[in-house]
Formats: sequence, structure tokens, C-alpha cells
Amino acid sequence: MTVILLAIFAVTLIYLGVANRLSSYISVLAVQGVILFGVAFIELIEINWVNLVFILLETIVFKTIAIPYFLKYIIERNKITRDSEPFLPDFISIVIVTAIIIASFLLSNAIEDPHLGKIFFVASLSALFTGLYIIVTRRKIITHVMGFLVIENGVFVLSLAVGNEMPMLVNIGILLDIFASVFLLGIFANKIGDIMKEQDVEQLSNLKD
Amino acid sequence: MSIVSFLLIIFTSLFFTGIVIRTKSIFSGRKGPGFFQPLKDIRRLFRKGAVYSKTTSFIFQIAPSIYFASVLMAIFMVPFGNQPGIISFQGDFIFFAYALALGKFFIIISALDTGSSFEGMGASREALYSLLVEPAFFILMGSFALLTGHTSFYEIFGSLHFGSYISYGEGTLAAIVLVFIALIENSRMPVDDPKTHLELTMVHEVMILDNSGFDLGLILYSTNLKFAMYGALIANFFLTPGYEWYYSLPIFIGVQIVFAVIVGTVESFMARFRMNHNPQYIFMLTSISLLIFIGVLILKKFV
Repeated sequence: MTVILLAIFAVTLIYLGVANRLSSYISVLAVQGVILFGVAFIELIEINWVNLVFILLETIVFKTIAIPYFLKYIIERNKITRDSEPFLPDFISIVIVTAIIIASFLLSNAIEDPHLGKIFFVASLSALFTGLYIIVTRRKIITHVMGFLVIENGVFVLSLAVGNEMPMLVNIGILLDIFASVFLLGIFANKIGDIMKEQDVEQLSNLKD
Repeated sequence: MSIVSFLLIIFTSLFFTGIVIRTKSIFSGRKGPGFFQPLKDIRRLFRKGAVYSKTTSFIFQIAPSIYFASVLMAIFMVPFGNQPGIISFQGDFIFFAYALALGKFFIIISALDTGSSFEGMGASREALYSLLVEPAFFILMGSFALLTGHTSFYEIFGSLHFGSYISYGEGTLAAIVLVFIALIENSRMPVDDPKTHLELTMVHEVMILDNSGFDLGLILYSTNLKFAMYGALIANFFLTPGYEWYYSLPIFIGVQIVFAVIVGTVESFMARFRMNHNPQYIFMLTSISLLIFIGVLILKKFV
């Protein structure tokens, strides 16, 4: 079952490569939250209920409901145009995302470690690199935040890959990280939106003190 | 030797487009044409003679027949659950793909034969799209050949281990990819609009602008046959192993109906893509089938 869920996770990564509306990015992030909850629920079935509730909070409440809602709020408040405006054409994007998945598969194949769930490692590495790729090639600040969230999802899968125990502290760390990053970047985007009206990263290089 | 899948596909092809059109008219709130209207159109076309332009050569005249024959040839190879198709041999899925490609090649050169600039444009688009679909189909069938260890349609579908959730998951993903492949190969909505009226935006329709009468009827009926053929391939992923026809037959018909309703729903609710968005959309299918391939590699512990 986890194999299928992680395959669907990888399909959402491919879809991120071609999606060209901000609203589809947000819905992909929400779907990824649900998938991550499914994977974590199946993998961590024997842990105590406190941890389970915590993971439920982290995946469903934060990743699926709170963050997409907050991102939608930022987009509406700042009147950000709905295109993602990549630097590269979408066809190249999807070829690169496919290449990323194959490369992470080959890389995880080269690592001989009995403790490592291979399919988890493939999914997490490809999510990490896809997030990086989205950050590098998209023009808006809000898509940078979304790329960062994809990286966070990859880290979450990676923490599932290294074994069944995911200590409470790691959970809290991840949660705080997500919360702080989205919140701060949201405020940042809001302030820039107030001052500059346009959210193009290119224009930030024109800033002088 | 089994003729049952051939007969079933011919039978479902009679109703397929009718179901699609009914779905579309229900969703758009129209009364819509009758259930058998596409068949009546084709019958009317079959009773007419064809008109040939003076600039065309014999290629234009033989191409629709070859196209129809290639689709029939491909249908001969589709199995029905545990029963092989009329023709079945090792590696027949490769022959299946290239029989279809042969028909498409003849339609393309007949479009070029007319000397119309619009038709050449449509032919180039059609060639590009089927070129991009091909790796998706081969990676998909290749991964199922790897999963089961057999290389013909009949053996692959016969020995898929149903009952374990993994093969159902892989089968569902493969069915989704096959639905998209069928939509693209039949030039339906997200890639091409069969109802468009502007030659510049057509793909498949512009290639058959000069065909008339009997030839046009053949081409239209081949589209029905192709839909039913892909529906049969999709149904094969869900058929029960063994000879229990009283399970297999309702599943087959049900999958065909669901497939037709999906096609109608997609055509009702999706706008067609911009022309330059089509290649990346089709390439996405290759990526998804690569994921299926990686899943099979991990399942079979090859890595």
C-alpha cells in the first residue's frame, strides 16, 4: 500500500512540473498532505496514540488545511496573478522532473543499506530535488514558498525512511519549521506586496539601500 | 483460438460513441441526438460513393481501407481475460502498436497527398502526438511483461496475480494511463476537439477533410472500433482469471460503459489545451509509466 501511495506522491511531483496555475500548486500541496498522512499512518501503526495524534495534526491539519488556506489568503490579499511564470518552458520542466526521479532511483540503488526503505528514499530525494528545481525556476516569491513546502514533504518522507521511530522532538521541530517559514514568508510577501505591487524576484535585484 | 473478444469489441463499438454523446448532452442539459445517431451517420456514409480530387493519387484512395484494416488487425490481438485473441504470439503487443502505427502512417501520407496546407499541418501534429504516446505504451506493456514474465497480451493478462492489492494498484495506474492514451490516439478532448470548426486548430479532423462518402464512413467507424479496443485493453486489467464468463462479461461491459462515460465527462468539463501545451501533457504519460516501471522493479526485487 505504501508503494502505491508513494507512487501517487511521485505523480503529484510530475504534475507540479507542468502545473501553471497557483491554485493547482495549492491543491497539489493539499493532496500531498493527505498522501503523507496515509503513509505515516500505515508505517507508524504501532506507535502510541500521542504521537499518532501529533502526526495527524501535522499532516492533515497543517499540511492539508491550514497552509493551503493561508497561501490562498496571501494570493487573494496581494492580488497575485494566477500564473506561475516559470523561466523555462513546461516541456523542459517535466523532462527534468522525470530525470530527477530516475536519477534519485539510480542513486538510492547505489546505496546498500539494510535500514533504508528504498521506495521511501526515492520519493523523498525526488521531492527534495523537485522542490529545489521549483524554487530555482519560478519567478514569484509565493512559488518559492511552495517549493520549500515540497522540500519539507520530502524531508517528512525521509524521516519515515530511516526507520519506524520518529521521536516527538523531530516532529515538533518539523512543525515549527513549517509554521515559521510559511508565516514569515507570508508576512514578507505581504510587505513586499504593499510596497512594490509586483512580486517578481527579478525586481528585488534592483533594490538599493 | 477464441473469437469472443473480437465479437465483444465489435458489439461494444456499436454503442460506444452513442454513450459518449448521450453523456455530453445530459451534462449540457440538451435533449441531444439519439443513442444510435453516430451509427446512422456511418450507415448513411456507407451508402454514398466517394469523390476524389484530381490532385490526389492512388494513395489517397487506398489509405482509409488500410487504416480500417490495421485497426481490425490490432483488434484480432486483444485477449478476453483468460482467452487469447484470434492472433496471439510472443511479443504481440509490439505488433499491436505497429499495426496501429501503419494505419496512422497511411492516413498521414494520404493527408499529405491532397496537397492542402491545412492537412499537412494536421498530419505533422498527429505524427508528433503519436510519437510521444509510443514510449508511454511500450514502457507500460514492458513493465507488465517484466511483472508477469510473459511477452504476449494473452499471457500477461492471464497471469496477472489478481487478489493482491499491489497488482490492483498497478492495474489501476495502468488503466489511467491507457485511458489517456486512448483519448490521445482517438484525438479526443484535452488534446484535440472533434467538434472544432476552425482548420487551424484541428488535428485529426483536418486530415480527413478531403475524404468523403464511403471512405469517411470507414474512418469514422475505425474511431469507434479503436475506442472499444482500448476499452477492452483496460477491461483486461480488471477481468477475473479463469473462465467464469458470468463475472467477466458484466465486468467487461461495465468497464466499457464507465470508460465511455469518462470520455463524455472529460469532453463536457475540460477545455482543450493550447497547442504548445500538448507535448508536455503527453510526455507526462511517459513519466507516469516510468513510475509504474520503477514500482515493478522494486516489487520484483530486481534492484
